[in-house]
Amino acid sequence: MRSIQNRPALAVIVALAALVFGGASLSGVTTLATAPSAAAATPAGAGQTYTIATDTTFAPFEFRDSSGELTGIDIDIMESIAEDQGFEVEWQSLGFNAALQAVQSGQADGVIAGMGITDERREIFDFSEPYFTGTLTLAVNEGDEGEITGFESLEGKTLAVKTGSLSEEEAKANQEEFGFELLPLDQTTTMVESVKSGNADALMDDYPIIAYGVEQGSGLVTVGEQIPTGDYGFAVNKGDNAELLAMFDAGLAELQASGEYDEIVNRYLGGEGEDDGVDRSTFWGLLVTSFPALMSGLGNTLLVTAISFALAMVLGLLFGFMKITRNPVLRGIAVTFISIFRGTPILVWAFFFYFGLPQLIGTNVNIWVAGVLTLTLNGAAYIAEIVRGAVQSVDPGQMEASRSLGLGYGKSMQRVVLPQAFKMMTPSLINQLVIMLKDSSLLLAIGFAELLYQAQQIYAANFRVTEVLLIVAVIYFVAITLLTQLANYVDRKVNK
Amino acid sequence: MTQTTPPPADPPAADSTGTRILVELENVNKHFGSFQALTDINLTIPERQVAIVLGPSGSGKSTLCRTINRLETIDPGGTIRIDGKPLPDEGKALARLRADVGMVFQSFNLFAHKSILENVTLGPIKVKGVKKAQAEKDAMGLLERVGVAQQARKMPAQLSGGQQQRVAIARALAMKPKVLLFDEPTSALDPEMVQEVLDVMVQLAREGMTMVVVTHEMGFARKAGDRVLFMDEGKVLEDTDPESFFTRPQHPRAKDFLGKILTH
Repeated sequence: MRSIQNRPALAVIVALAALVFGGASLSGVTTLATAPSAAAATPAGAGQTYTIATDTTFAPFEFRDSSGELTGIDIDIMESIAEDQGFEVEWQSLGFNAALQAVQSGQADGVIAGMGITDERREIFDFSEPYFTGTLTLAVNEGDEGEITGFESLEGKTLAVKTGSLSEEEAKANQEEFGFELLPLDQTTTMVESVKSGNADALMDDYPIIAYGVEQGSGLVTVGEQIPTGDYGFAVNKGDNAELLAMFDAGLAELQASGEYDEIVNRYLGGEGEDDGVDRSTFWGLLVTSFPALMSGLGNTLLVTAISFALAMVLGLLFGFMKITRNPVLRGIAVTFISIFRGTPILVWAFFFYFGLPQLIGTNVNIWVAGVLTLTLNGAAYIAEIVRGAVQSVDPGQMEASRSLGLGYGKSMQRVVLPQAFKMMTPSLINQLVIMLKDSSLLLAIGFAELLYQAQQIYAANFRVTEVLLIVAVIYFVAITLLTQLANYVDRKVNK
Repeated sequence: MTQTTPPPADPPAADSTGTRILVELENVNKHFGSFQALTDINLTIPERQVAIVLGPSGSGKSTLCRTINRLETIDPGGTIRIDGKPLPDEGKALARLRADVGMVFQSFNLFAHKSILENVTLGPIKVKGVKKAQAEKDAMGLLERVGVAQQARKMPAQLSGGQQQRVAIARALAMKPKVLLFDEPTSALDPEMVQEVLDVMVQLAREGMTMVVVTHEMGFARKAGDRVLFMDEGKVLEDTDPESFFTRPQHPRAKDFLGKILTH
């Protein structure tokens, strides 16, 4: 069952943003992946293109596969129905709350996002027939399935549940009768890890999520009987797009009759897997399937770092010089800039530029702009200090000798002081570059698709946290080592 | 008189005998905070003169030397003229005038990131707009003259102190200055390298270069100096010829100073 509690990452971001900026509303959280396109006009019938909003990652209902393509049960069902009924689908992968808002505001025609049919939501949306029945399941470590078979075998044991969700309610209702301990946690990933590490003996969570994780090699198995929780439906804005809703219902009935519906669900939950001959449960399988997504993340990491570092160099040089001029106004500006950006965490600025700034200027800020601004301004503050230190460490006699030859201050700086200062500051600048590359991982908090973000997306779906993080650590290490080698090589060539 | 381009408004200063005055200090005072480093300096240095500035450490000799090309500013009210032209404030005019006043530092101050040849050609190329080939040819001539032409392609750090200081002299000469200032040019050298630098300076003096030399080398002062300025506590206490100074010092401080350095 979808609720805000099921999306702790998003909830934490929104809460943080709200904390930092007071008025941050959910409307700040938009366009995590795709920019909303203009709403399609929607006269009745086939041949039409409909804009369908969905979540970014809610495996196995919607997530991005190793090649970055949107996939999942919702996606496959919707596209099969579209094919059957003869209409076109244009996807908007927005995030759960943003997807709902897109439909309400008319920017999208419908939403399919593992969305539970509730009375509250019926006030705002018209729902299709249920296309999936949500259930809760117990899961234990592989090998424990003989010992733990249901609530009845949990006496004296610890059960991990998701804070504030139906799994916690359900477990609490049975706690007294069967005598187990509860361990409420806020993320499925954490719950899986605590079972794998032995901090909990079993967990209870939404069946599809856990089943998909099992499929992906999470190391758990589901046990006991599933407990039904509610139905998932496709939704349109109340009173709108009735023909789309009708086509969905008709198409769904066709899929269920033809057996294609079962095929789709089994593809994600039934142990069949993507038919690419790779066994995902092994480390090698994980590496092969996750590598394309991680490489695209690495590409973004390197690109955002490169752009930010180049801009930070320009700004850092500027502020570094301003700090050593005799002009008190320029010096004051530089000192203020440096102390502000050295004295505040990067994350605060990332949230500010992505969530806060749009509300001040009244228009969305592109995530690349927000990311580059964040890293650039932070890096510039440190580079300014590096520049100042290096320039001041050049023997004043060098400047005096140059000026007594008749070179002006600017030319003396340019020809005599700076070349020597650059030589001295190069190791610190390389260090700063490495720090910036690592700091770029903080941008995952605003949904910037860099390396660690991609890793999170992967283990949020398959729960293989340790292995994925190990792979990511190695990628970072190799990238930084190569970058350092390259920088040292350039340093030797230029500053010999 | 060898002047080729007389400035229109400011004819070169000359003393009563008609000799051109290259350096003129009038009411020069200098404070560092509340400490007065120079007090009421009035001084003229004519063309071709070698003026030796002597005095105990802290007497203001180096400060005096550095005010002449405005590495130190002076207190308001005083004036320094180079070849008749007052030293301008910061800016292009100052840079131009500085090119006329060469400076040789105690610690050489060769540009550490440039080769010996580049050290010498930087000024002519960047300030005077001399073509690189011509500047290098001239530089090699100067390096030959100070005896370090063999080292032209090396970096400063690869040279001995004496060699570096001779390069610094060549670098100053490359600008064809009217006056050369020496701020304790041999004080940072190992004893065996002092002479090679002094030899170059003696040669320059003989060729008629106008020089102001802050030094402790009494031998050089006697051999090459035309005039001795003895300073203490920021004042010029004696201003005479070397022979008179060394044989008949007038001021008690001067006697005391000579007593200390000649007995050891």
